[in-house]
Amino acid sequence: MNERVAAEVFTVAADASLQSVLNDPSSPPPVRRALSGIHSLQLRNETIVGRTLRASRLGPQWIAALLALGAGVTLDRDDGSQDVALDALIRKEEGGAVAALHIPILDADSAWGEAHVARTPSDMPIVAAFAVVRMDGETVQSARVALTGVWSEAVRLARAPDVLVGGPLDEERIREVAVTVEGEVEPVGDYVGSEAYRRAMAGVVTRRALKACLEQEEADE
Amino acid sequence: MSNDRTKKIGVIINGEERTLTVHPADTLLDTLRAASYISVKYGCGTGDCGACTVLLDGEPVHSCQMRAIEAEGREVFTVEGLAPFPARGVDDLHPIQRAFVETGAIQCGYCTPAQMLSAKALLDRNPDPTREEIGEALSGVLCRCTGYVKIIQAVERAAALMRGETVEPFRHLEATLGDDESPQAVLGEFYAVPGDGLHPRTTLVISPPEMEPLQAVGQSSVKVDGVKLAAGRRAFADDVKMERMLYGALLISPHAHARIRSIDASEARVLEGVHAVLTHEDIPRVKYASGGQSYPQPPPFDQVCLDNKVRHVGDRVAVVAAETPRLAQRALRLIQVEYEVLPHVLDGEEAREHGAPLIHEEPDTEGIYDRDRNIVHHIEAGEGDPEAAWGRADHVFEREYRTSQQQQAHIEPHVCITYWDEDGRLVVRTSTQVPFHIRRMLAPLVGLPEKDIRVIKPRIGGGFGNKQEMILEDLCAHLTLATGRPVRMEYTRHQEFTSSRSRHPTVQRYRMGVTDDMDVVATELDLLGDTGAYGTHGLTVNMVAGQKGLTLYNTPYSAFRCDVVYTNKPVPGAFRGYGAMQTMFGVETLMSEIAEEMGWDVVEFKRRNWIKEGEELLMAKALGEGREGFEQSIHSNGLETCVEVGLKAIGWYGKRGQLNENPVGPIRRGIGMSVMGHGSGIAGLDMAAATIKMNDDGSFNLLIGATDIGTGSDTILAQIAAEELGVPVNDMIVYSSDTDFTPFDKGAYASSTTYISGGAVRKAAARVANEIKVHAATMLGVNLQEGGEASDGGIGLEDVMLRDRSVWFPDGRSVTLEEVALSSLHQQNQHQIVASASNMSYESPPPFGAQFVELTVDTETGEVRVERVLMTVDAGRVINPITASGQVEGGIAQGLGFALCEEMVYDDDGRLVNPRLGPYHIYKADEMPEIEVIFVQTDEPTGPFGAKSVAELPIDGVAPAVADAIHDATGLWLREVPFTPERVWRALREAD
Repeated sequence: MNERVAAEVFTVAADASLQSVLNDPSSPPPVRRALSGIHSLQLRNETIVGRTLRASRLGPQWIAALLALGAGVTLDRDDGSQDVALDALIRKEEGGAVAALHIPILDADSAWGEAHVARTPSDMPIVAAFAVVRMDGETVQSARVALTGVWSEAVRLARAPDVLVGGPLDEERIREVAVTVEGEVEPVGDYVGSEAYRRAMAGVVTRRALKACLEQEEADE
Repeated sequence: MSNDRTKKIGVIINGEERTLTVHPADTLLDTLRAASYISVKYGCGTGDCGACTVLLDGEPVHSCQMRAIEAEGREVFTVEGLAPFPARGVDDLHPIQRAFVETGAIQCGYCTPAQMLSAKALLDRNPDPTREEIGEALSGVLCRCTGYVKIIQAVERAAALMRGETVEPFRHLEATLGDDESPQAVLGEFYAVPGDGLHPRTTLVISPPEMEPLQAVGQSSVKVDGVKLAAGRRAFADDVKMERMLYGALLISPHAHARIRSIDASEARVLEGVHAVLTHEDIPRVKYASGGQSYPQPPPFDQVCLDNKVRHVGDRVAVVAAETPRLAQRALRLIQVEYEVLPHVLDGEEAREHGAPLIHEEPDTEGIYDRDRNIVHHIEAGEGDPEAAWGRADHVFEREYRTSQQQQAHIEPHVCITYWDEDGRLVVRTSTQVPFHIRRMLAPLVGLPEKDIRVIKPRIGGGFGNKQEMILEDLCAHLTLATGRPVRMEYTRHQEFTSSRSRHPTVQRYRMGVTDDMDVVATELDLLGDTGAYGTHGLTVNMVAGQKGLTLYNTPYSAFRCDVVYTNKPVPGAFRGYGAMQTMFGVETLMSEIAEEMGWDVVEFKRRNWIKEGEELLMAKALGEGREGFEQSIHSNGLETCVEVGLKAIGWYGKRGQLNENPVGPIRRGIGMSVMGHGSGIAGLDMAAATIKMNDDGSFNLLIGATDIGTGSDTILAQIAAEELGVPVNDMIVYSSDTDFTPFDKGAYASSTTYISGGAVRKAAARVANEIKVHAATMLGVNLQEGGEASDGGIGLEDVMLRDRSVWFPDGRSVTLEEVALSSLHQQNQHQIVASASNMSYESPPPFGAQFVELTVDTETGEVRVERVLMTVDAGRVINPITASGQVEGGIAQGLGFALCEEMVYDDDGRLVNPRLGPYHIYKADEMPEIEVIFVQTDEPTGPFGAKSVAELPIDGVAPAVADAIHDATGLWLREVPFTPERVWRALREAD
């Protein structure tokens, strides 16, 4: 069902259960974190991948991990199948029946991080961030941070981390990105977190997720 | 009814090929239950609770979230497949079931099948899981009773059994003190390094030197109903299906406050398969109060079964009865209601302002204190000389504390089946904590004499107070009266939130005077209690709040002023802790705040002032429950020892104030403590009775009106009887409860069952024991003097012993109980050995306890993570340490929810924004902190075998201990629960 079609991509059929993705040893670590930390085993067993891609509220952290990884999807349309970025599907720029999900495998030059805020350890996060940074030597080649709980939609990629590209990854630049993210997000307050709280937490979890990437990079050196 | 959309599917269920007829919309849950796999339970219908878990091709899924047709051609496994029927004892069970029974992992038993199936799926793929892996595997099934401690232990034990390992009997640890030995000293036996977090994995019971061990009492007996619950038998209210049964459904109000201008139910009434639609126009207007309390119920009677006005979102509007649940729901959608929407008020303080919307203007509700200001009750009480007290005070502290509206969230919803029996009497099979109160309260509402109503209480899937209330019984009965047919009604989970009961939110303003010598000399408490749209438990909960909140420190001068107000919120009622846990949060936090501000050791300050043995409870007479109380004093108090043991076990003095000396990063650590006292029943009011009947083989039927709602009361009552009668616990056949066949009991509330019902059982058993002795003496030709100890060297009743299923005389002769039974029933002086006894008490001896919490605070996010909770408990003599510690663990879990996350939240229109178990969030198996329980036994002279209560105490002290620990970590005092991340974060920002 799940297939590692190329060395760098892990492909999942749209009708695969979330649990089968978690069980697969090829599944990238951020995906495993997102799935094991959020859903119950029952939900993972009965929820198929394609459904979550059409309704990201079913698993915002899982979608955040996929967006941060730069996942793509194969869409079946009347005019044939087409591969598009998952981000485009989530933003409804692309449409069609999801046939497969393609998750990039992290290479040695990549690092990832996750951070979230919740009422209790196993509660649905109020705000969460997944970050994936790809390095080219000392320079950031790409940086994606997807956040949940800080937009009117369930999950979205932040733009602020783009400024990291082309420069080093260090604590000062991470702090700057976190501050920028606080200004970029447009949270809707609710009973677990006001707009102000969510905005502040967007900065905190962005910083922590990126810092986890930095620590991985430093550990690898 | 025929339906051409149905189809036949083939499913392999528990290895057996079955053909099922299903509708495309049928859930797998409903299909399995209809096919008699009743171990599969409804809990929420939204995939949040996991009670409906089955294994589909070996993997756990929510059967409520799957259509039955999705199971076609697949293998479904339920608990019915674990052990062959009939499993009669633990040895007949699957190792997982056996382990659940032996470890005390089963309390109410409603979620047990789902927990066991989750365990099976785990152990099938991982025979030696870690605790973390077990927690993760169980995290999809919510348990509201246990705190998961023993469930995780059960899975560990099951894994060992399935690996073929030999396991030791699961029991508690015991330490009996030597004459000069301190309780702290014995801890070294069980805590390698006290305070390091490594602790025994089971309950520790510390006994004073003079306490003699007993034969049945004090043993960790397995629950008398454990096997049937583990086997998933037909134990619960909804596990039977009557012939021609109809399904009732309730239409609830979408408005917080509205008058019903008109209801047009004509379309619903003509729908084929709909047999009744009832509105306020169809049911006589009989006033009542829904709280299940003793006669006479506290006023006001401010409810009617169906009204022409709605007072909260979720209030009753109409009911229907139809052939199927789906049809009943369809009928509800066809009822046209025209509302005149009225202004509403959701805030208790705003509700008592002049000009606030008037919630109960109807003239036929009597007994409202100030109708125009929505003040249903005003309470004032005081003891002592205020002038003298305040004159002594060197320092006066004033603080305000706020508590939230918490939902009981028992996993089994309210469910009820009503039907006419063959004698034309109305039978009510219902999930209730108060069957006798229900019978009495229901009679006038349905216009039947009480004698023509029979209430059967089957197994209860958790209640925590929410089933001390008439929620569905009257409506279901009206539908049976209207149709002549059996009717079943069950709340949805959404209705549990909007239309059952919850915890009273409070605003507490404490004023406390202390001397420079650390004496508390004056305490005043102004309390605002929010009772929502109806009064029900409003008076009694808030009186208890005052009484308990002013008794722990029993100040020479105490004063209580309280307004209980109506608001347009769903109705609070009884909930474990019952007012006491709200004010324990206030008073304990205040005491900690004072100690900190004065530079005093918090433990020493509390110790100096907490109530001591021999003291009179100064507020007990002024504040009873809904009426004047009785003078009481403390006869047993193990609080000093509880605190000393707890301080040692947690390593308090090596941690307090010392955990953040070199902080790195945003995480701060803290340790906190609280002390607490509760009560054991309602003094001078609660009454229980028991009947014990001897059978031919020397076994006994124990008939009790007491209602085991998962606490294990059936078991501990059997232990009490077994102790008195000298038999093993499994010689007691417990039946509880049925208003036709069991004697009266006020029901399961007010922490009364062990103390009040247990006292009745002990008295009844003693009477039976005496009858047995007399008959045995006759059999042996012994001249027994019945007055007790005999004079002149004769033999008296006290000289004859019952033990090992025999009657023993001083000369060494004995007869077995079976011989006595056969003789008395068939041969000699023939009669039935049987006795009943009643019990009540003008005392309500408080159990005491201390709670210690270790936690972290993330100062950037405000997240609080509790890592360890230790509770030391004086519950008198503990009848069953495993069931008692299960009560403590479960209470702590609920207390953690109260402290950290649980809160019913409304939008501006009065609609709940989180009426689901997921968004509301109760603690899961994989997020519980370490929980330790140590019992410090005392001998309560008024309790059965020295016992006091244990059920409510553990919830009382969690929030203040957490508040104290947060202060230790951050220097902040938080005065409003729950301590959500945002509240903590805002407090941290304000302090910067």
